[in-house]
Amino acid sequence: MTFLTVIAKNLLGRSTRSLLTITGVAIGIAAVVAMTSISRGFMKSGNRIYSAHGTDLVVSKLSSQTPVPPLFEESLGDQFRALPHVEVADPVFVDILSVEDKPMVLFFGWEPGSYLWQHLKLVQGRWPTNDTERAVALGTLAAEMLERKVGDKVQILTGEFTVVGIFESGALLENSALVTTLRQAQEITESKGLIRHISIKLKAGTTEQDLKELYETVRTRFPGLRALSANEFMESNLGIQSARVMSWATSAIALTVGAVGVMNTLLMSVFERVHEIGILLAIGWRRKRIMAMILLESVTLSLLGGIVGIAAGAGFVKLLQMLPRARGFIEGDMSINLTVLAITVALVLGALSGLYPAYRASRLQPSEALRYE
Amino acid sequence: MTTDRSSAQKLAPANPTDDRVFIEATGLKRFYDEGAVQALRGADLRILEGEFVAIQGPSGCGKSTLLQLLGALDEPDEGEIRFQGQSLGDIHDKAAFRARMIGFVFQSFHLLPTLSVLENVQIPMLEMPWTAGDRRRRATVLIEAVGLSDRIRHLPRKLSGGERQRVAIARSLANEPRLLLADEPTGNLDSDSADRIMELLGAIHRERGMTMIMVTHDPHVAVHAARILRMIDGRMVAEEKPHA
Repeated sequence: MTFLTVIAKNLLGRSTRSLLTITGVAIGIAAVVAMTSISRGFMKSGNRIYSAHGTDLVVSKLSSQTPVPPLFEESLGDQFRALPHVEVADPVFVDILSVEDKPMVLFFGWEPGSYLWQHLKLVQGRWPTNDTERAVALGTLAAEMLERKVGDKVQILTGEFTVVGIFESGALLENSALVTTLRQAQEITESKGLIRHISIKLKAGTTEQDLKELYETVRTRFPGLRALSANEFMESNLGIQSARVMSWATSAIALTVGAVGVMNTLLMSVFERVHEIGILLAIGWRRKRIMAMILLESVTLSLLGGIVGIAAGAGFVKLLQMLPRARGFIEGDMSINLTVLAITVALVLGALSGLYPAYRASRLQPSEALRYE
Repeated sequence: MTTDRSSAQKLAPANPTDDRVFIEATGLKRFYDEGAVQALRGADLRILEGEFVAIQGPSGCGKSTLLQLLGALDEPDEGEIRFQGQSLGDIHDKAAFRARMIGFVFQSFHLLPTLSVLENVQIPMLEMPWTAGDRRRRATVLIEAVGLSDRIRHLPRKLSGGERQRVAIARSLANEPRLLLADEPTGNLDSDSADRIMELLGAIHRERGMTMIMVTHDPHVAVHAARILRMIDGRMVAEEKPHA
C-alpha cells in the first residue's frame, strides 16, 4: 500500500460524494470548453473566409467594431487600386439579415468580376453575375436551412430573389450565407453607392516594410479608414470580441461555482473526517502529509471532473451544431490547446479549492480531533 | 498492596540515579474552557522501562487526558513529562516522535473505514523509510501475530469489535514503538472479547518487553497490569500491585 492507495480508497470509499464533486467540476469545465470552443470556432471560421479568398488586407471604417462594419462611400474604393503593392482592391457589401424565418443570415454583395467569387465551388446552377437580375446564390447550409433549391424564390427584405446557384465554401459562415451582386445587395438594403469594406490582395513580393508604408499611406490619405490584416480585422470585430468576453465571463462564473462546490465538498469531508484525521495525527502522520492527502484528493477529483467536462463540453458543442437555430453559425474548435487549457484549469481549480480545507485539516489538534465525534 | 494518598505522592520525585525510568510526569495540570474544567490538577507518575501499568479511575478523573499528554498528543498547562530523560516540551517534531516511539490503542478502535485490515496496519508505516514490500511484510506478520490472518482483506465494518481491536493493536505495533498507550482498550467489548484482548496485550508485553500504560475504569481489566495507579479528580491517589 502506498500513500496514493490511501487517497484512492478515500475517494472510492465515499463514491457518492466523489461523484457529486466530479459532476460539479465537470459542469464548470464543460462550460469553459463549450464557450471557448464556440468562440474560437467562430473566429477560425471568420478567418477562413478571408484566407480562402486570399485576402491580405481589409479596409474598413475606423469605428468598425460592430458585427458588420459601418458603411462608407464605394467611390473611395477605386483609389485603393492605384496604391503601391496593391494587386486587387474589391468592394464588399455584407450584412446580417433576417431572411424569411431565419433570424441571422450573412448576406454578401460582390462585384461580378471580383476575385472573391473564385474560392467558392459552384455545386449547382450558375453564379448571379448580372447586376440587373434579382438573383442570389446560396451556400449549401443556407439552401438547407431555407429549404430552397435552384429555381426557387427567396424573399430578402422587400425583394424576391431567384436562387440561381448553390455553392460550397471552406468556411462554415460562408456556407450558411447568401451571395448576390454588389449592386443588387446595395439596392435591396437601400445602401446605394455604399460598401462595408474593401478586400485587398497584395502583389507578390510585398515586404513587411512595404506593408508598413501602405498602412501609413492609408492612414494619411484616407482619414477615417483603416487597413488591417484579415486576422486583425476579425479580432477587432465587435461580435468576436463580445463572443470572447461572454465566453470568458460564462467560464469564470461556471468555474467559480465549480470551485465553491469542490471547496464545500472538501470542507464537508474534512469536518466529517475530523476524527479520522485525529487518528492519523495520533499515529504519527505529519501535518504536511495530512495537507498533501486533502490536496491530492481535491486535485484528483478536479482532474477527473476536467476529463468528464472536456468530453461533455465537446459533446454539447456537437449537439448545438445540430440544432436548427444554431446551424451554420456554430462551429466548435476543439484543439489540443483547448484540452490542455481545460486540464490546467481543472488542476488549478482543484489545487486552489483544496488549499483551505487542507490547511484546516492540517491545523487540527490531535487530542481535540480525537475527542470530536 | 495499597498505599495511601501521601505515599502515592511520594512516588512523584524521580530518582535521578534510576536509569530504568522510562517516562516520568511531574505536576501535570491541564485545564479546559479557560480553567473552568480542571482535567489534571497536578498528576505525577514514574514508569520504569518494560513495566505494564494500569491507570484506573472513574469516568472524568482525567486519565484519558493524562494518556494524551504522555503520548504527546496534547501539551500540559503546567508540569513536565520526561521521556527517557528528555522533556517532551523540547521535542520539536512531535508527529515523528509519536510515529517512532508510541503506539496507541483506543477504546473505539479508530480504524480507517475505507481501508482493509492489511492497509490499516500499514498506515503508520508510511512515516517510516520502508518500501511498500517491507510495509506489507511487516503488516502481514503483525496481523498473523494478533490472529487475524484470515481477515487480512476485510474492511473494518466486516469485523467484530474484538477483531477490530486486534487490528488496532497490530497497527499500534506497526513501527515497533517503545511505548504502548491503551485508552480503555476493552471499553467497547463484551467480556469474552475483553478477556482475549487483555490476554493479547499481556502476551505482547511479555514477548516484546514493551512499556505499556493502560487507562481503564474497570478494576477487572486493571488487574492484568503489573501495577495499578489509582486516579481521582486529576491526581494520582494510590498505587497497587495486583500480582504482588
